[in-house]
Amino acid sequence: MTLSAVGEARINGYLFVLQRSLKTFLPGDSVRDAVREIESHLRERIAAADGSPNERDAIERILAELGPPLRVAQAYSLERTVDEAVATGRIVPIIRALWHLAVSTAAGFFATLAVVIGTLIGAGTIAVAIAKPFFPQNVGFFMREGDGFPHTFGGQFPVPQDEHLVGGYWIIPFALTAGLLILVLTYRGARRFLTWWRERRLS
Amino acid sequence: MSRETWQEQLRRGTLDLAILLSVSSGPRYGLAIIQHLEAFTDLVVAEGTIYPILGRLTKEGLLESTWVEGEAPHPRKYYALTRLGTKRLAEMTDAWRDYVKKIDRLMTASERTR
Repeated sequence: MTLSAVGEARINGYLFVLQRSLKTFLPGDSVRDAVREIESHLRERIAAADGSPNERDAIERILAELGPPLRVAQAYSLERTVDEAVATGRIVPIIRALWHLAVSTAAGFFATLAVVIGTLIGAGTIAVAIAKPFFPQNVGFFMREGDGFPHTFGGQFPVPQDEHLVGGYWIIPFALTAGLLILVLTYRGARRFLTWWRERRLS
Repeated sequence: MSRETWQEQLRRGTLDLAILLSVSSGPRYGLAIIQHLEAFTDLVVAEGTIYPILGRLTKEGLLESTWVEGEAPHPRKYYALTRLGTKRLAEMTDAWRDYVKKIDRLMTASERTR
């Protein structure tokens, strides 16, 4: 089947959407290679098609067999990003893989939420350690009058009348250790989730 | 687990083996692999999902790919087994045969006791 200008436009539109979707998570070379391969597939299918009952239906049938461009892109995303994250253990691929799972699966969404919360708590705890030398009277544990245990850890500007600060500069090593520990555990949790996801996908 | 979920897991689990088997007799390009799979199995649900798997198997070093121009009006990307891929395919084939044999034995035993 030889394509008309309308048919060409439909194929180019499909490839354009695919390219745009792939660009969000794949490097340029990989995007070009993937789009070229999918185009080769389409051209091969079109060349072999007899064009019945008409060009439009024949093209739509070929595109339907290939799958919608977003679904094809998602398949690339899951194959590439999760594998890269698990294999390298680097932060950026892990974030990228979590993001793609978060927007495409419920388990991914809740795992990513847990990772975001863990990262914020870890980073916040380290921020407390960094802020302590600059605001010694506003950063640390806070207790209400009459309470036997602290109810807040962090900074308060100004400190409320009925509360007082507990803890001196020992807060710094404590917060640094706790913050780093939380970040390491969050990172390990993220890796473990992605490994589990990958094994589940392959099983 | 529903029958569909079980079948989907089975399909995904065997797709890597099926793709490696498709190129075991010689290099094939993407569409030829899909057509080969479609001729012998019903493992290909959406054609577009096969290409990312080919990309992953290439990245894992089990396949190597080459663009060939001039053979058709458009370039074709051929996939061939690497040495590692050949070794892995032999391992997977043995494991699969062993697995099928055990499940068969289990089914036969189950049928006898019915």
